[in-house]
Amino acid sequence: MDLSKVKVGKTVIIKKINLKGTLKRKFMDMGILEGEMVTLEKIAPMGDPLEVTIKNYKLSLRKNEASLIEVEEVQ
Amino acid sequence: MSGNERITVAVAGNPNCGKSTLINALAGSRLQVGNWAGVTVEKKFAELNYNGTAISLVDLPGTYSLSPYSQEEIIARDYLVNEKPDIILNVIDSTNLERNLYLTIQLLELGIPVVIALNIYDEAQQKGYEINIAIHTLLLGVEVIPTVSTQKKGMDSLLNVLVGNVNNQPKRQYYGKDLESAIDVVQTNIKDDRRFSGYASRWLAIKLLEEDEYLLRSTGVVDLTELTGEAVGHLAVAHDEDIESQIVDERYALASGLFHQVFKQTFKPKQELTEKIDKIVLNKYLGIPVFVFMMWLTFKLTFDVGNPFVGWIDGVIGGPLTKWAGALLAAVHAPEWFVSLILNGVIAGVGGVLVFIPVIATMMFFVTFLEASGYMARAAFIMDRMMHKIGLHGKAFIPLLLGFGCNVPSIYSTRILETRRDKLLTALLVPLISCGARLPVYLLFATVFFPRHAANVILSLYLLGIAIAIFMGFVFKHTLFRAEAPVFIMELPPYRLPSVKNLLIHSWEKVKHFVVKAGTLILVASVVIWFSLNLPYGVSQQDSLLGKTGKAIAPILQPLGFGTWEAGASLLTGFVAKEVVVSTMGEIYSGAQEERTEQLSFVGDLKAIVVSFGSAVQEAFFGFFSNIDITGISSSKEEEGLDSLKQRLGLDFTPLSAYSFMVFVLLYVPCLTVLAAFKHEFQSWGWVGFVVVYLSVLPWLVSFAVYQGGRLVGLG
Repeated sequence: MDLSKVKVGKTVIIKKINLKGTLKRKFMDMGILEGEMVTLEKIAPMGDPLEVTIKNYKLSLRKNEASLIEVEEVQ
Repeated sequence: MSGNERITVAVAGNPNCGKSTLINALAGSRLQVGNWAGVTVEKKFAELNYNGTAISLVDLPGTYSLSPYSQEEIIARDYLVNEKPDIILNVIDSTNLERNLYLTIQLLELGIPVVIALNIYDEAQQKGYEINIAIHTLLLGVEVIPTVSTQKKGMDSLLNVLVGNVNNQPKRQYYGKDLESAIDVVQTNIKDDRRFSGYASRWLAIKLLEEDEYLLRSTGVVDLTELTGEAVGHLAVAHDEDIESQIVDERYALASGLFHQVFKQTFKPKQELTEKIDKIVLNKYLGIPVFVFMMWLTFKLTFDVGNPFVGWIDGVIGGPLTKWAGALLAAVHAPEWFVSLILNGVIAGVGGVLVFIPVIATMMFFVTFLEASGYMARAAFIMDRMMHKIGLHGKAFIPLLLGFGCNVPSIYSTRILETRRDKLLTALLVPLISCGARLPVYLLFATVFFPRHAANVILSLYLLGIAIAIFMGFVFKHTLFRAEAPVFIMELPPYRLPSVKNLLIHSWEKVKHFVVKAGTLILVASVVIWFSLNLPYGVSQQDSLLGKTGKAIAPILQPLGFGTWEAGASLLTGFVAKEVVVSTMGEIYSGAQEERTEQLSFVGDLKAIVVSFGSAVQEAFFGFFSNIDITGISSSKEEEGLDSLKQRLGLDFTPLSAYSFMVFVLLYVPCLTVLAAFKHEFQSWGWVGFVVVYLSVLPWLVSFAVYQGGRLVGLG
């Protein structure tokens, strides 16, 4: 599953980040790391971007990039 | 450390960590604001004295990391690496400890002493957070001071430990066996390499392992493998991740480890304020109405509070000031042309600009409020989908919104975007956003031609500008900027109530900038305009230099409904700054104004100034609470000096052609300062040329459509 398909309120674990170079570094600098827990908080009124909680703070990113982040549901 | 020393303190931290409030609290009135050399990112600095030690504070741009991927990060890094401050003051948001520590770990790599301010400590306590300062200090080997900069708490201890810790090397952080041995190898390889003298060796080794492009370029390293070869080979075998990611992971592991050792949550508040607010503000159905309401409120407050003071300044300049200057000039027997130059050129010109200080100040106050409170990020979040459609980042909404205040800072603020494509595309749309300097033109025309609906007419112009910006964004996206739209990743900071003092400081800086601009550029422009209106001396204004040029372009403007030399000449001078359109009209039409003989009474005039200021305050106050629509614009007092101008305008324009004229003013080439900012920011005369052409053709077409369309349906 990828992050863009997670339901609002669900918490997942990041398995793999399918990004490269500068973009990947940028995401990692913001705390998007493999093994990190992410909660999907909200979807913007117009359907995009998403709001997630990661490392105890709120971050927004577009579905487009979220779809490149592989996640797994927390049991 | 004994007295009479001098130390440099670099203040570093994440965005939204309260760094700017902390600097204000430390520096107070000694705070100075400028720009980083060669770029337009704001630089704050201050010279303090603490128990005999001269402290020079330098505020670095807020960054999440020290990767060289944004202008801010490069500035912060270059300063730390090249200028080598004596100590770094790392400001941390205590409510967001773990992520903030990621930057701290990077700062510790530099080999510069560090002191940490655990800022916003009160909020952390309210959230039930408990941070063990002693362990924190022990693990990092740096002093950690809890601070609440909004209440100036902890400032004295902070200065004390800054002075006391300039020789205290922080504890080296252990990056794991594999990375450490790789760092060792690289450090040995670069030990005697003269290209790298002056760099901290551990930091440099880490950067070389990261293959930091910016560093490789600035040190001229071509063959990286000779420096890192063996070390990299080993790391690549041991882990299946690229080394840069391994290092980031390691830093985060350190930050996280530290966080879990010092952090404890003793209780959990039921629901946090930010979440409560966001439930409404970012709600699926309410989000957009709330956004529209916030924008409307910003406008309402800006104009209701600002306008009474506009009237007051105008009254003071047009009345007592002009009167006294005239009397003074008469007393020294100045020649007639000189009196005219001073009164009609200099005072009228500069006065025409100064009157907009209140509106700019209030606009900046509320825009800064939106930014500092955390709402601006929500606005970007809500608007991103739409901005994305026109090929922009949600953040691009911010420069566009700032454009309502003034296009100049707005062009500069396109820096918050990451790619040149994004910056350029946003900057091309900014001039379509109606800035504060266009408002005087609307105010004048709307009050003359649409006295009862002035507010709605003006609002319609703002909305038209937005609509055309969206349309042009769409056009550009599919023509000149077809490349892939950039990514969007943005923090939604917690809501915080910004302190009024900080908002005032910020507004004051903007106003100061505007006044300096007004005082030089506009003064020169006013004098040039006076000369072009009065040269050759003695002829009528119609036959003057400007009049003749105005006449020459009048036929082009004829189909738009305002083919008079006066309109043409005013629009020409508007190239200098759009508010000059009004002052030029004032000068052109003021020939008809009769001389007023008034009694000179210094005390009487002073009294009148004070009394009228009092009533402006009253009006601002009551306008703020009494009505809930934007009537403040139309109900502002009629100024005496404008009467004859208003009468003359009634003869030259119809409501339809007046509207068409306002549309033209909205859309045509922004002021010279905007073009200068554009050139400065994008380093290209080609793009400046493009802006001039595009913003000459577009307004003509739209005004043509408005005027001719209006006539077709029987208006005007």
